Amino acid sequence: MYMLRALDIYKSFDHLKVLKGVSLTVQRGEVIAIIGPSGSGKSTFLRCLNRLETIDRGTIEIEGEIMVQNGPDGRAVYSGEKEIALIRRKMGMVFQNFNLFPHKSVLENLILAPVIVNRVPREEAEKTALELLRKVGLENKARNYPFELSGGQQQRVAIARALAMNPDIMCFDEPTSALDPELTGEVLKVMQDLAAEHMTMIIVTHEIGFAREVADKVIFMDEGIIVEQGKAKEVIDNPKHERTREFLSKVLRV
Amino acid sequence: MDYVLKLLPHMLEGWKTTLSLFFLTLILCLPLGTIMGIARISKFKPLQWFMEFYVWIFRGTPLLLQLLFVYFGLMTVGIRLERFTAALLAFVLNYAAYLAEIIRSGIQSIDRGQYEAADVLGLTRFQTMTNIILPQVFKRVVPPIGNEVINLVKDSALIYVLAISELLRVAKTAVMRDETFVPFIMAAVFYLFMTAVVQQFFKWVEHKFDYYR
Ligand SMILES: Nc1ncnc2c1ncn2[C@@H]1O[C@H](COP(=O)(O)OP(=O)(O)OP(=O)(O)O)[C@@H](O)[C@H]1O
Ligand SMILES: [Mg+2]
Repeated sequence: MYMLRALDIYKSFDHLKVLKGVSLTVQRGEVIAIIGPSGSGKSTFLRCLNRLETIDRGTIEIEGEIMVQNGPDGRAVYSGEKEIALIRRKMGMVFQNFNLFPHKSVLENLILAPVIVNRVPREEAEKTALELLRKVGLENKARNYPFELSGGQQQRVAIARALAMNPDIMCFDEPTSALDPELTGEVLKVMQDLAAEHMTMIIVTHEIGFAREVADKVIFMDEGIIVEQGKAKEVIDNPKHERTREFLSKVLRV
Repeated sequence: MDYVLKLLPHMLEGWKTTLSLFFLTLILCLPLGTIMGIARISKFKPLQWFMEFYVWIFRGTPLLLQLLFVYFGLMTVGIRLERFTAALLAFVLNYAAYLAEIIRSGIQSIDRGQYEAADVLGLTRFQTMTNIILPQVFKRVVPPIGNEVINLVKDSALIYVLAISELLRVAKTAVMRDETFVPFIMAAVFYLFMTAVVQQFFKWVEHKFDYYR
C-alpha cells in the first residue's frame, strides 16, 4: 500500500508557474531523494505535500486519506481543517534552517508539540524525548538552549523534534545545506539510521552521494516537472535524460 | 532645609497622584497595546485598517491635545469624567497606540520559519502565538518599551493642564507662592529618581531574558 500519493500537482506564485504537473507515489518505508537545480520547485513541491503551500490543482492523499483533490471546476479543493490537521500529523518536517524555538531548551523543543497538540502527559513526553535525544546522540544537551549548539547538533535536535510527534513520513528540505561541510556527516548519519529503521522519507538534497547510498528512489526535477525518476543508483550512475546528465556532471564536478 | 521638609508632604501628595497615573496607565496599556499590536496585523482587514487609523490618530497628535480633547471634548457632548479618569483614559489610549506599534514590529521581526515549524508540528494559530511568537516578541520589545515607560514618567506632568495636583503642579504652585526655585529642584529629584528606578528595572528584565538568543 502506498503511503503518500501526489497526482498532477500544479502550483503558481502569481504568474510564475513553479509546479507543472508533478506526480509521486511513495511506498511505506521507501526513501525518496529529490534532486535538481536551484529554482526547479523541489522545496515548493515538498512544502505542498504538508500544506505549507496550497496547490492550484491536483490530488494529495496520505495513507488513503484525501487532503486535497480537484473539484468539478478542475481547481484544487482542500478537505476540512480537522481532517487536514489529522493527516498532517502523520508528517514530520525538517527545514534547512532548523527553525528550533530559541526560547525553549532542547528538551522543551521536543516535548512542546506532543504535550500541547497530542496531550501526552509531560513525564511521558520527556521520557520519549530523552530516548530520541539519545538516538541522535544528544542526550547530554537536553537542558541546553539552541544557541549553545553547533549547526549539526541543532539539526539533529530538529530531527528529534519532528520524530517526537511519531510521524509516519519524514520530509527533509536540504537538511545539510546550511551546515559547514564538516558537520553534514553527523546529520546524514542520523538520517541513514532512520532509513535503516524503514522510516518513510522524502529528502530534498544536494548530497548526491548520500542520495545514491541511502535513497531507494531518486527524483530529478527541473523547471517544475519530474524529468527522470528511478532506482537511485540507476538514475545517478546512468541518467537517461540529457538534463539529468548535465545537472549531475555539474554537481559532481564540484 | 526646613523649607524642603515643610514642602515634602505636599510634594509626596502630588507624587502619589503621579504614581497612580503611571501605574494605572502601565497596567492597562500593556495588555491593551499587545492586543492592539496583534489586531494591527490581523487577517481581518477592517480590523487592521481600524488599528492603523487609531495608531495614526494617537501618534499623530500631541498627547496634550488628547488630554484636553478627552476632558473638555467629552464634556461638550455631555459626558463628564472625573479629571483624573479623563487623564488616565487619554494616557491609556495614547500609550496603547505606541505599544501597539512596538508589539507589531516585534511580531513582524520574528522569522517566518518559527511559524512554519509550529505549523508542521500541528500547533493552532493561537497556540503558536502564545507559545512561540509572543514569548520571543517580549524579549525583543523590552528595550523599546523601556524607552516608552521613561517617556511615561515625564509625560505624566502633562496632566497639570487639567488642574490635577500632580508632582509638577504642586512644585509650580509652591514656586509662585514662596518665590523660590527649590520646589522645582525637588520635583526634578523626584523625576530623576523615578526614571532611574525604571531604567534599573528594565535592565533587570533584559538580563532575565539573557538565557537565550
Ligand atoms: N513564496 C514564494 N513566492 C514567490 N515565489 C516563490 C515562493 N517560493 C518559491 N518561489 C519561486 O518558485 C521557484 C521554485 O522555488 P523552490 O524554492 O521550490 O526551488 P528549489 O528547487 O527548492 O530551489 P533551491 O535548490 O534553490 O532550494 C523559484 O523561482 C522561487 O523563486
Ligand atoms: Mg529549496
